[in-house]
Amino acid sequence: MAQVFPKAMNVLARVSLLLLPMLAAGGGVFGAAFFRSDYTTGAREVVEQPVPFSHLHHVAQLGIDCRYCHTSVYESASAGYPPTKTCMNCHQQIWQSADLLAPVRDSYEKGVPIAWTKVHNLPHYTYFNHSIHVNKGVGCVSCHGQIDQMPLVRQTKTLLMEWCLDCHRYPEKHLRPVSEVQNMQFKAEGYTMKVKDETTGEFIDKTYKSQAELGRDLKKIHMVRESQVLTNCSICHR
Amino acid sequence: MSAKATNTPNGAEPEFWRSVDEWMNTDNFRTMMKDEFPEDASEWLDPVSRRSFLALAAASVALASGCNPSFRPASQRKVVPYVKQPEHILPGVPLFFSTAMAQHNGVGLGLIVKQTEGRPIKIEGNPNQATSAGACNLQALASPLDLYDPDRSSGSGRMQKGGLLASKNESIITTIKAALTAVGSPAAPANAGTGVVFLTEPTTSPTLIDLMEKFLIAYPKAKWLTYEPVNRDNVRKAAKAAFTKNVNQVVNYSNAKVVLSLDSDFLTTGAPGAARAFGKRRRARHLGVGAEDGSVVSVTKNPMNRLYVVEAMTTSTGAVADHRLPLKPSQLESFARALAAKLGVTGVTDDGKLPELAKKWLDPLTKDLLANKGSAAVVVGDHATPATHLLAHAINAKIEADKGDAPAISFTKALEPSTNQPLPGWPSDDSFASLKLLVEEMNAGKVSLLFMSGVNPVYDAPADLKFADALDKVRAVKDALIIHAGYYQDETTDKATHHTNLPHYLESWGDVRGHDGAITIQQPLIAPMKGGKTLIEVLGVLLNAPNNDGLELVKDYHRRAFEKSATKSGTFEHYWEEGLKYGKLANSEFTKEAVVFKGLDNVNDKDFTSPAIAELEIQYRPDPVLFDGKQANNGWLHELPKPITNLTWDNAAMMSPRTAEKLKIQSGYTFNTYRSGERGCTETDIVKLTVNGRNVEVAAHILAGMADDVIVFHLGYGRSKAGRVGSPTDPGTVAPGFNAYVIRATDGLWSAKVECTRVNKNHFLAIAGAHYAMESRRPVRHGSVADFLNDEDFAQIPSSAPAEAEVFRANTPGTPENFELLNFQNPDLKPRKHPYAHEDHGTHEHAAHDKRVKPLSLYPGNPIKVNGEDANRSYRRWAMAIDLGSCTGCGACTLACVAENNIPVVGKEQVMRGRAMHWIRIDRYYSIPVSGKLMSDNLGAAGINEKTRKERLHDSEKLKVHVQPVNCQQCEKAPCEVVCPVGATVHSADGLNDMAYNRCVGTRYCSNNCPYKVRRFNFLQYTDYTTDSLKLLNNPEVTVRTRGVMEKCTYCTQRIRNAEMEAEREWNSKARPKDGNGRPKINDGEILTACQQACPTGSIMFGDLNDDGRDGAKPAAILRWKAEPHNYGLLADLNTMPRTSYLAAIRNPNPELEKALQGEKGQEAHG
Repeated sequence: MAQVFPKAMNVLARVSLLLLPMLAAGGGVFGAAFFRSDYTTGAREVVEQPVPFSHLHHVAQLGIDCRYCHTSVYESASAGYPPTKTCMNCHQQIWQSADLLAPVRDSYEKGVPIAWTKVHNLPHYTYFNHSIHVNKGVGCVSCHGQIDQMPLVRQTKTLLMEWCLDCHRYPEKHLRPVSEVQNMQFKAEGYTMKVKDETTGEFIDKTYKSQAELGRDLKKIHMVRESQVLTNCSICHR
Repeated sequence: MSAKATNTPNGAEPEFWRSVDEWMNTDNFRTMMKDEFPEDASEWLDPVSRRSFLALAAASVALASGCNPSFRPASQRKVVPYVKQPEHILPGVPLFFSTAMAQHNGVGLGLIVKQTEGRPIKIEGNPNQATSAGACNLQALASPLDLYDPDRSSGSGRMQKGGLLASKNESIITTIKAALTAVGSPAAPANAGTGVVFLTEPTTSPTLIDLMEKFLIAYPKAKWLTYEPVNRDNVRKAAKAAFTKNVNQVVNYSNAKVVLSLDSDFLTTGAPGAARAFGKRRRARHLGVGAEDGSVVSVTKNPMNRLYVVEAMTTSTGAVADHRLPLKPSQLESFARALAAKLGVTGVTDDGKLPELAKKWLDPLTKDLLANKGSAAVVVGDHATPATHLLAHAINAKIEADKGDAPAISFTKALEPSTNQPLPGWPSDDSFASLKLLVEEMNAGKVSLLFMSGVNPVYDAPADLKFADALDKVRAVKDALIIHAGYYQDETTDKATHHTNLPHYLESWGDVRGHDGAITIQQPLIAPMKGGKTLIEVLGVLLNAPNNDGLELVKDYHRRAFEKSATKSGTFEHYWEEGLKYGKLANSEFTKEAVVFKGLDNVNDKDFTSPAIAELEIQYRPDPVLFDGKQANNGWLHELPKPITNLTWDNAAMMSPRTAEKLKIQSGYTFNTYRSGERGCTETDIVKLTVNGRNVEVAAHILAGMADDVIVFHLGYGRSKAGRVGSPTDPGTVAPGFNAYVIRATDGLWSAKVECTRVNKNHFLAIAGAHYAMESRRPVRHGSVADFLNDEDFAQIPSSAPAEAEVFRANTPGTPENFELLNFQNPDLKPRKHPYAHEDHGTHEHAAHDKRVKPLSLYPGNPIKVNGEDANRSYRRWAMAIDLGSCTGCGACTLACVAENNIPVVGKEQVMRGRAMHWIRIDRYYSIPVSGKLMSDNLGAAGINEKTRKERLHDSEKLKVHVQPVNCQQCEKAPCEVVCPVGATVHSADGLNDMAYNRCVGTRYCSNNCPYKVRRFNFLQYTDYTTDSLKLLNNPEVTVRTRGVMEKCTYCTQRIRNAEMEAEREWNSKARPKDGNGRPKINDGEILTACQQACPTGSIMFGDLNDDGRDGAKPAAILRWKAEPHNYGLLADLNTMPRTSYLAAIRNPNPELEKALQGEKGQEAHG
């Protein structure tokens, strides 16, 4: 019987011995990169909404407080989405006939809620709670990005578990005084606050040079639990 | 080695046994013990047809793609806010409302219902209402599933052939109104209502009673009947004979030192509040706590109550009893007679029909009852003959049960509807008799309008009344109307001319009275999903009320009652709002009445006494889970293992082993086949029961501990039209259970003479109890008060090495070292050092320095450090303790857990394969003590032969029943964690054995390595992802698990985490002090696990072991439980350090009765 493979195939066989692991490794790298890509995580994707609500306009230009719409952020797992009534509080008076606002008026008249498209999506088995984060001094901007600069909201972080864990392992990186939680421009560098001096026990004004320094102090003051606790499965998964 | 080894060598007689198979030590049992899961559990042997397999496969593909249609999670989901957000609603934060459920006999159970985003999802008891006292029962716990049942009736209209509604929106009320106008011509108002009959459930609703009165005044010839198959006719009859009027007897279990139950299963079918009161007195010692510092200031030695139970079938009340006497139903009355005669009650003589064993009870019992005058009570099952009830009243009068400052029994006005008007149509107290009269009138063509609400007489009326035929007769009359209002379109709907749906109690306004007469408003939690009008609303329309909305009618009645009330204070609005919030209208309890016992004149009347003793007797009882069958379409109830029998999805003809032998019936162990009673699947004979010419075929089940020559048949099963669960219509499926109403008739409503013959058929029963046996390692421990006083540490295992016992104790987290923690102020009352500690055995070779007795374990302890210290000390440390002394095994914990944790229903087929998903199982053990030996009941009796085993099995009165709820023990050194290849189950800092469901790949190694067998695996897709209405039932706080995932108890981690977050976010608040570790304090009792909250007897305690007073506050209650000397860890000898521990069952037997019972038989049965 004639040989199936000619002799020249030997070279190919040897090369493929080298290529296969490289291919496998390359596949792995590609897979990992793809998994983290904006395409998969949805980061930076601008989502169409029934009404093109602009946070840039309402927050940065008009200076409306976050809690005017997201009322339950300090008390509940959900920050809360504003009911149509909240929009109408102002838009009964201003821009009451704007075409863009037709769906809002429609909803209010007919009593049919507006179905917004969710921007930040977490899996169902993840139980994120807004209230604990903001009460411990994690700023809105830490997860949502500069929302006051967004005409249409987009997700700025990957929302992957590794991203969550990064902060649960090192909460210092993102802590700020509770009064500054909603501040979109907050900088730890140069921030001054009253802290108890450990040696004298007196309250003194302390100016911080870095987030790391501030975070370390705030972690203690806000009684943020340590990473050994915050990375327990049941902290987020039930 | 000590002679008292902890492990029984193979083949030796086990001390505690879970099933007759285990006792008889069959080959099948031994094979079964070797398996990780019950046989077939891990096999794909399901008889799924190719078609259903493909459907399943398609569904899972659809699921996989439906959940995540692309890699891009961000693009698709919608959020829908309110248009106008209601007040008080914070999205994501549940609300709790008080309401009430009208249960058996119309008595209301006060409830607190959890509502998330407008959906009621979880029922809890209301601590402010006496009937509940914070506890809950099975029927209420399972009721949210009824609310979202896709099979509930919707719409109303005329019935067509085939049981279908012609039109869904036709108003029934207009039809009734027209009919009423026709019969009650305005010209002759005195004849109004001729031929009109209302047949409804019994009620205690003041509003409804008021409307009934108005209706019967407007239509004087109309009749109103209340009917329920399991009713209190006998109770009422006896009360009238005893006190000249119907009264309501309230047993104050908190005052009762001695309770004699005459076939009353009051701990399961009675008010949960009564069980709570009973459970509180079921402790051998009481640690009084100082108000200031929480130190133990007093230890009361023996305030424990004593319970005698005389019963035909082993019930959960019998399992808790200190003395249990199996007796035939016909002999129960004889027992009451003999006891009354012995007590010196005039007008009664011992009829001499008692068996020898029962006679021995009389003297010690009499003495005990007389010694506890004023604090002893005799309670009687509702089904007992009127004479038995009458005799019990006589005995209670004799022992002055209702006298003194803290009487065991008090009386109030009757709960049944009463009227001062001369109304001939008013409901009669004898509901069976009035039903019989109704049938006669129907047959005579005298009924032109029959309105039935909430009843199903075609299914549950006594068979000899032939109610269905009578309905046919009415239908034959021209223009006659049969209107059926019901939650479901059921058997009766088929015979009606019209049907209308009733709203669920969670959807409608109403009011009820608790067993003490207090009124609770039933407020809706959700708008009626299927529409419908309540009986109150229907009557409001018929009576032309100015505002016939349910709320207005109820409120209007109470406004009028408030204005008339002498004790009113403040405004009505305030009274109403507070009443709604609190769950009880202020001062609405009935006042206690003094009643005078009239005498035993009627005790020998023919309609009072029981029939003569028959060779074989049948007893009908309400099913402990399904009750009378109203909730027969509830999968949660069907799948819940019944107390003691552990039977699921079926009822059966229960009989004792000796009776079965006599009747040559095979069941379980007597079959020597492959399915022989273990593994959750029992093959059994079908028997034909014949009562007075009426037949039914039913599966037999052998239940050890029952009285001989009795067959107990539970009501509520065998529905022919209930819905997809109660009466499935798919080909190849059968309705669960067997219909007992087919043979039950007015000639013997509760017990009768029966013939039982084998038919040549077999049946498979799904008995969950036999899964997950833990071999003979003394899982349950028990002793008497005397044992306890003699040796407080009786429950600790005598170990092979003396010091080992101390190690076991040290390995049960929470057991205080030297008991110093609780600051026992009186050194005499401090628990003693363990007798097996080395000090007492100084000369023994294993001294304290012996390193071998150090807790050896392959498993690492909790590696988590908090503040640089072991988290077990420096962080919160959750733990649980379960008191086996007061646990009745009723199953409320299991059901509460199902509702809280989204646990799916798997169906009978799957239960038979050992795949039931309940996170808490309730193990039932039997033991046969040989002459009062303690822990070593039968130990060492190795090698007793089969004949002796059989003989002992027949000794049903000696048999002891033990129950033990087992959930995940949250081991500190958890064997399951180390074997998980993907880290799906790992420890949290506070010691929970976390499950990350999404990580689980289903290797099941964890379950294999779990010594407690508490892990449950989703072998198939059990959660229903397709039925929309059932999705509304899910608790959003708990992940819904899918196929291929392991799950288990996590101490309700969602409740812990939510409480934790609430505390943690108040780090800056003065109202939130810091705990001993400097963290924001979670107060003791702030977290109740679902099982703890529901438990009727309060047998479950949960809390933080590190809440030990380091912060200067009162130590947590859990520490007091753990400090009890009879606290032990399950399989603690494995050094798993279980966080859950058990308090050994302490019984309080009467020493004199024990002596009397041992007198004759003594040791003779000893192998």
